[in-house]
Amino acid sequence: MAARFRKKTIDFRLNGVSYTREVKTRQTLLEVLRDELGLMGTKVGCESGDCGSCTVLLNGKPVNSCLVLAVQADGCEVITVEGLEKNGKLDSLQQTFIEEGAVQCGFCTPGMLMSAKGLLDENPAPTEADVRRGIAGNLCRCTGYVRIVKAIQKAAETERGHR
Amino acid sequence: MEKIVGKPITRVDVVDKVRGAAVYGADVKLPEMLHGAVLRSPHAHARIVSVDVSGAEALPGVRAVVIGENLPGVLTGEAIRDMPFIARGRVRFVGEPVAAVAAEDEATALQALDKIKVVYEPLPSVVNAVKAMTADAPLIHPEMMTYARIGILNPVSDSNIVTVNEYRQGNIEQGFQESDYVFENEFQTQMVQHGAIEPHCAVAQMDAARKLTVWTPNDSPHRLRKDLLDSLGAACSHIRVISTFVGGGFGGKGGVKAEAIAIALALKTCPRPVKVVYNRAEVFLASLVKHATVIKIKTGVKRDGVLVARQVEIVWDTGAYAEKGPVVCSQATAAAAGPYRIPHIHLKGSCVYTNRMVAGAYRGYGTPQLAWAHESQMDIISRKLGLDPLEIRLKNVLREGDVNPIGNPVHSVGVADCLLQAARDVGWKERKELSRVTPEGRYRGFGMGCSTKNTKTPSGSGAVIYFHQDGRIMIATASVEVGQGARTVLAQIVAEALEVPVESISYSAPDTDFTPFDASTTSSRTTFHMGNALKMAAEDVKEQFVQLAAEIFNCTPQEIEAAGGRVGPAGRPGEALTYVEALRRQFAAGACVIGRGFYYPPEARGKAFHGSPSLFWMYGAHAAEVEVDTETGRVEVTRLAAAIDVGRAINPTNCLQQIESGVVHAVGTTLLEDMVVDENGRLLNPNLHDYKMPTAMDAPEILPSFVEAYHREGPYGAKGMGEVVTNSAMAAIGNAVEDAVGVRLTELPLTAEKVCAALKEKKRQNDAKKRI
Repeated sequence: MAARFRKKTIDFRLNGVSYTREVKTRQTLLEVLRDELGLMGTKVGCESGDCGSCTVLLNGKPVNSCLVLAVQADGCEVITVEGLEKNGKLDSLQQTFIEEGAVQCGFCTPGMLMSAKGLLDENPAPTEADVRRGIAGNLCRCTGYVRIVKAIQKAAETERGHR
Repeated sequence: MEKIVGKPITRVDVVDKVRGAAVYGADVKLPEMLHGAVLRSPHAHARIVSVDVSGAEALPGVRAVVIGENLPGVLTGEAIRDMPFIARGRVRFVGEPVAAVAAEDEATALQALDKIKVVYEPLPSVVNAVKAMTADAPLIHPEMMTYARIGILNPVSDSNIVTVNEYRQGNIEQGFQESDYVFENEFQTQMVQHGAIEPHCAVAQMDAARKLTVWTPNDSPHRLRKDLLDSLGAACSHIRVISTFVGGGFGGKGGVKAEAIAIALALKTCPRPVKVVYNRAEVFLASLVKHATVIKIKTGVKRDGVLVARQVEIVWDTGAYAEKGPVVCSQATAAAAGPYRIPHIHLKGSCVYTNRMVAGAYRGYGTPQLAWAHESQMDIISRKLGLDPLEIRLKNVLREGDVNPIGNPVHSVGVADCLLQAARDVGWKERKELSRVTPEGRYRGFGMGCSTKNTKTPSGSGAVIYFHQDGRIMIATASVEVGQGARTVLAQIVAEALEVPVESISYSAPDTDFTPFDASTTSSRTTFHMGNALKMAAEDVKEQFVQLAAEIFNCTPQEIEAAGGRVGPAGRPGEALTYVEALRRQFAAGACVIGRGFYYPPEARGKAFHGSPSLFWMYGAHAAEVEVDTETGRVEVTRLAAAIDVGRAINPTNCLQQIESGVVHAVGTTLLEDMVVDENGRLLNPNLHDYKMPTAMDAPEILPSFVEAYHREGPYGAKGMGEVVTNSAMAAIGNAVEDAVGVRLTELPLTAEKVCAALKEKKRQNDAKKRI
């Protein structure tokens, strides 16, 4: 290769599975997920942290993976959209997104789900304003956000009902 | 009464999408795939003196470098073939491709770009469309008259005017003379972008047998294939286009974009595939934008508010290459008078080259810009005449059977009901009872508007249905799922026609090798055209099962009854067989029933391309409530009612989803979005922090509804709707601002700065009057 880069070995947990991998120090977490780990659910939208389509959970917090260097995930827990379902059963957010019609083209959906997951894990009873603020970093051009907000509120209710 | 059509079923593709499993263009990965990167022009207009790629070619890991000279004679463009894949001899906009590199990885490709040396000789540029029409403007395409072009273009030689289209009815001068009042206004709309969250991309591969395959999130695979064959000629005679899921289109994912670069490289890297993914700056610079416009509108009315004459003159800024600009100009200019009865009209559109970003199809295809003008002016008219904005519109809007401004009788016209519903939902009648000033000290206002859009006519759609022996039904069409819900609506139509469960239906990827010709997934035409084609194909399947049953029951087909997904002798329902049983009975060794349909508007057979009156017109109305902060100038849309005439709601939820989408999209266009190009043709905000798209916190309360004005030729009465959902919202907001604070803004977007400036000017004028 013409381009030479420093490499580092990192250990992290991804969707519940432990990984040890050598990554280039310049690689973002987004690049490693898509280009090397075959997880295409997390999307590339702007590479500047504005659109949110690359959102994943890093130690439970929603982050723009385009702005996180892979080496920053060393020793951390990463959850992507692929990690939401458990044993083939969809997460309640995924369920309500389907039921409420919160998905049109679907490109913003993985990022939206992860932001919503991060929000509900921290605040199980959000108001509508809390929800809108929670997804303010996720751009959607298709839906007008109405059904996404409803779906998140409904999932919050469902989860509260389970407790 | 239909069983599945008209039901709000869950979309058929959403499970894959919520699992992150749906494959979009950038998710396509092939063995030995290379990565492409593009070197782009920093100049708006320049001669390319020399391009030295030796440094890039020498870089380890680089597998191909392509410049314009490697593709002699290759020009593309749906209306006029004016655009090279990679610039040759001259660059015409900042961001135009000048060279492309394919390398083993993205980092190497980007490094290689830095090693390419280009010498430019800057030329005078023109970045204002009106200026570009003047006699001394620099010519952007001196060879314009030599380009291959379609019949409806009327270019003006030795100019930057790529087409002029005019429509006349009655006698415009007589009309103005007969009017009690004549209003003349000028409006402007800005350059904005579709804002699909998915960037443009493509993967291209020329295999060892010299067959080119392209995977792309493109809205029209057959049209792309034709455009590529027309431009590549002998270089490539066998092309296959496969459309992936599209992460939002809005008109921006059509034509030849990233595909051009991927193909140019793949021709050299054969047999290795090349993937090109635009970064967000490249999407802004080098994909498509909405035509910025300058619109002069002159309307004559009687004092009771009846419209008599309307003259509209539009300058469409089409950017450095024409792309679909000429067709936007021709089709939209025909709709410029709005959804009204007007006996005397003169509509004129000029499509003009500038050294700016390439403009093309954008949700509404020119009608949003027109609606900004005619609905803003309707409000000016109603104020002057002392008429309610709702009443003046109801007095003039088209009704079933009327003749529209360009002389065509119209059928399926729901605009009056759209106005009534939008008015009802926003609380139009009660608005005067609310206080003018809110508790927070903001000024409240209400405004409304209505609009219309045509569809490209004629166009054709072909469909095949495979009924497999296990009961699985495969719909094979080239209609593309861009998020509008096409797969779902088309599945509902087939399920209804065949009387089978929607769950038994699968949907093939649009693939030009296997899915029959479809004109495009544009122009809001898919439900109507492909829906009709699939109905025909479903009838064909049913007919074949009737024949099969006649064989099985040893009678004539006329004695067979097909109902509820079963076939059997009429009057003996107990003996009826399911389709699967009938197949198994006759074909123990296996079989498949193949149904086919091709829909093309019957009256348009033998007529010219773009030569027929619009098959249907879509209509909509919006009514807005705003609050204006007079200290900051900030406009907040608090509530926006939207009512759209869809003909028939095949899936009511789908329709509401589009309507909700349009409201927020319109808020962006009206208040937030602006692609700022400086006098040197440089885009100053090619990113999503400086180009502001609405977030969840910018959305108003949305009050959506639809109207069903059944269309006699649409499947189950349906028309189309996706492109008329933003149109009248812009003027509804602008009119509400005038209602709130008494200022009329004529240029989009309505920024806080503009509102403040207008308020200051109004105060200055009032103070001056007081002193007199």
